[in-house]
Amino acid sequence: MHVEYQKPRWTDKFLLLDMLEGLKTTLRELFKPKVTIRYPEERLEPANRFRGMFKFSFDRCIACKLCALACPIDIIYIDVHDEQREIDGKMKKLKVLDRYDIDVKRCMFCALCEEACPTKPKSIWLTTKTYELASYDRKDLYFNMQQLEYWEGRPEYAGLPADEPEPKQIEGGMP
Amino acid sequence: MFDVHEMEVNFGPQHPSTHGVLRVILKIDGERIIDAKPIIGYLHRGTEKLFENMSYPMCIPHTDRMDYVASATNNLGFVEAVEKLMGITKQIPKRAQLMRVMLSELQRLSSHLLWLATHAIDIGAMTPFFYCFREREQILDLFEEYCGARLTLNCMRIGGMPDDLPPGWLDDVEAFVDKFDAAIDEYESLLTNNRIWKKRTVGIGVISPEEAIDWGITGPPLRGSGVEWDLRRAQPYECYPELQFEIPIGKNGDTYDRYLVRMEEMRQSNWILKQCIPLVKATPAGDIKAKISKVVRPPEGEVYHSIESPKGELGYYIIADGKTQMAYRCHVRPPSFVNLQALPAMAKGHLVSDLVALIGTIDIVLGEVDR
Amino acid sequence: MTQDLLMRYLIWPLVKFLVAFIIVQVIVAAMNYIERRLLGLMQARLGPNRVGNEVFEKITPRSLHRFIPGGLLQIIADPIKFLLKEDIVPSSSEKVAYFLGPMLPLIPAFLVFCLIPYGPPPTFVVTHVNVGLLLILALTSTGVYGIILGGWASNNKYSLMGGLRSAAQMVSYEVPFGLSIVGVLMLCGSFDLVRIINYQADHIWNLFPQLIAAFIFLVAMNAENNRTPFDLPEAESELVAGYHTEYSAMKFAFFMLAEYSSMIVNCCLMVSLFMGGWTLAINGYGLTTGVLRGWGLAGGILGAVIFISKVMLFMLMYIWFRATFPRFRFDQLMDLGWKWMIPLALANIAVTAVVVLLGLQFNFQGEVVLSIAGAAIIAFTLFLLLRPRAKVIHARRVSEA
Repeated sequence: MHVEYQKPRWTDKFLLLDMLEGLKTTLRELFKPKVTIRYPEERLEPANRFRGMFKFSFDRCIACKLCALACPIDIIYIDVHDEQREIDGKMKKLKVLDRYDIDVKRCMFCALCEEACPTKPKSIWLTTKTYELASYDRKDLYFNMQQLEYWEGRPEYAGLPADEPEPKQIEGGMP
Repeated sequence: MFDVHEMEVNFGPQHPSTHGVLRVILKIDGERIIDAKPIIGYLHRGTEKLFENMSYPMCIPHTDRMDYVASATNNLGFVEAVEKLMGITKQIPKRAQLMRVMLSELQRLSSHLLWLATHAIDIGAMTPFFYCFREREQILDLFEEYCGARLTLNCMRIGGMPDDLPPGWLDDVEAFVDKFDAAIDEYESLLTNNRIWKKRTVGIGVISPEEAIDWGITGPPLRGSGVEWDLRRAQPYECYPELQFEIPIGKNGDTYDRYLVRMEEMRQSNWILKQCIPLVKATPAGDIKAKISKVVRPPEGEVYHSIESPKGELGYYIIADGKTQMAYRCHVRPPSFVNLQALPAMAKGHLVSDLVALIGTIDIVLGEVDR
Repeated sequence: MTQDLLMRYLIWPLVKFLVAFIIVQVIVAAMNYIERRLLGLMQARLGPNRVGNEVFEKITPRSLHRFIPGGLLQIIADPIKFLLKEDIVPSSSEKVAYFLGPMLPLIPAFLVFCLIPYGPPPTFVVTHVNVGLLLILALTSTGVYGIILGGWASNNKYSLMGGLRSAAQMVSYEVPFGLSIVGVLMLCGSFDLVRIINYQADHIWNLFPQLIAAFIFLVAMNAENNRTPFDLPEAESELVAGYHTEYSAMKFAFFMLAEYSSMIVNCCLMVSLFMGGWTLAINGYGLTTGVLRGWGLAGGILGAVIFISKVMLFMLMYIWFRATFPRFRFDQLMDLGWKWMIPLALANIAVTAVVVLLGLQFNFQGEVVLSIAGAAIIAFTLFLLLRPRAKVIHARRVSEA
């Protein structure tokens, strides 16, 4: 299919109708309502699947290290040790998490760790609708286990309240 | 040695009109360009080397960041190349294929809108920039609803898609697609028939069809010169054979024809989206991934697979050694890199003001050129 | 006797000039804000809309809050910024010329405000010179010196090129600027702006008989002021240069002030020559000078308000053009000026002269014929522009491959 411009008619050329068309469009646009959101007084709520800040749940995590394996940048640092614990009258070997740190300043929020987590509901999730993570100090952006779970001691995030323990079930989301 | 009249000027890496960090060393005689030499490498991040140390699913977010303007098509190329290597191209479910096509076409619209915005503002028309970004925001909102990110999407997986469509997404796409034709008419009313725009773009940077094929140019610059070559029709992939669309071709090979070709491509992509929506509704929900293991280990071999990204032919050449989960070598053929080679030939004899228009019309993204 | 002369020729014009000058400078300062706001609104975004919102919300009653455009204190914030910025002087620049450069365009730009009639004489005209138009043209032409000096004194290759380009553009558009006025002079018979305005009140606005001249004057006005679509020296094109690259803070503000002031001067000229100045009358019916003078001071103020609103209309048109059109390349710009505007202006003079002389010979009103022609062209253009049309009118598929 060939594209070509129409040959302008003589009226268009001499009466400058092409320029006047442009002027008409801009004038019409002047009176339309504007779509600007005046941040920070008005904010848009991100979508349900928005990949924002991490939240972690120590109780659900089974220390399988699949998230650390899946991370393309290797910023999840996990240390575990084995322990013998008594459950239902039998001695079982359990893995106990010592350290679960994420270096958020190098994260690209790709959510491959969330996808790799095998527990239901997930133990590490990013759908927290929080994106205002800027800080004045580099050390603030290295989160350890408690901070990932409780978000305390950090600037106020305009996202989920810090005590929401579970990710929302998103329809059609990851099984 | 220099002639007395020649001056060598740096159209430096930091410049408002060079779409990234491109450096062009110009030899000019007064206002005429005698020679233009592009120097690249200011954005090189070693992506291809990184691919050798990561498993295939981990590579996908890194492909996003090469052509950061059109990341869904980058993902698509890589994922399809690996699937071709594994031989499972026929097993991708229909719903996944249609979703991939929809995301690619939305991405094509978004990339062309960004191209129009920056091209217009380089030539001096300030308003199409803001109008295009207003529409582009709506597309990015659609992406955010689907996969959670707006720009670096990470929205495809080897074997299918990561998630199914959220409820209401198809209605949102339909609402957007219905309004988009009027938006393209608005941009055209400002630019297409405007005599100042025509004076700035007609006859600038003419490439003949033979020259274009010799340089290896692909995408809208090739089609603007009159060669009918679109990978969606020449080497079809996904479910493009079932969709109706036409390929716009230019006549003279100048900047104005490339502009017209891209505007018409936007309308055609809109049409493709309109056709996909009922087709997706007809497929069963949830059927989005082929039955493969989570650990992706392709057999030994090599593959080259290319797709039609908004900038041209994006190709991935992967060599797998069959033993590890990582590629032995993954080379990317970026369309902007190859198209940029034609810049000196196009710029010879034009004025310095035209150089800005030429860089805009080839539509380069430095992330892709340098990787 | 001496005191009377002093009063009439020195003190009273000085007072009038100061009043007019202050009002115009307030408009210039406001234009900075208005331009950014309107440009933004035409581009589907909001311009500056935050500075000073709290201040205005405290002073005005609640019901009026909706009508106050946000960000009004930006008008004051911008000059304060210019005053307080660090003034960087390049060490290798030519100091005397560097300091002189920004001041030179200001002198004619401010001086011309004495010569423009703002309302009915004798109160609202600062100095009533019978060759006023000639003086205004001569003074505005001297504005080029500052640009050349500024561009050269910066000791910057690209600044020099930008300055030379801008100077070439301004000088070459002086010719159509002047030639387009000749048609008006032929009809009105005098260089005196007050007489031209009175003539328009008695007949019809010069826009209609001299449509082509008005158009050429509009284009030349845009080119003189380095505004889009002729803003190559100002824009961030190719080498990110222009004659005012090396200037910072107040010196840059001087260049900007000179530009906006000369924009206002040119708009005032356009209004006086083609749109009837402070009158709103056709063929002697309406608000002519006589009627306005009959109402005393109130009439004069009404005339001045009419004049200022017409001037603001053209200032808004400057902004409208900036939002819509792309930029010309330099050689295309010079091409347009020399090969199209000048022959068109000469043709306009020839046609006007022929029609007026034929009118005198065969006893019909020459200018009525011209007015009808002008009005017909305007009506035809508006009809072609605004009629409802089929949707697909833009360049699209021509043939199926």
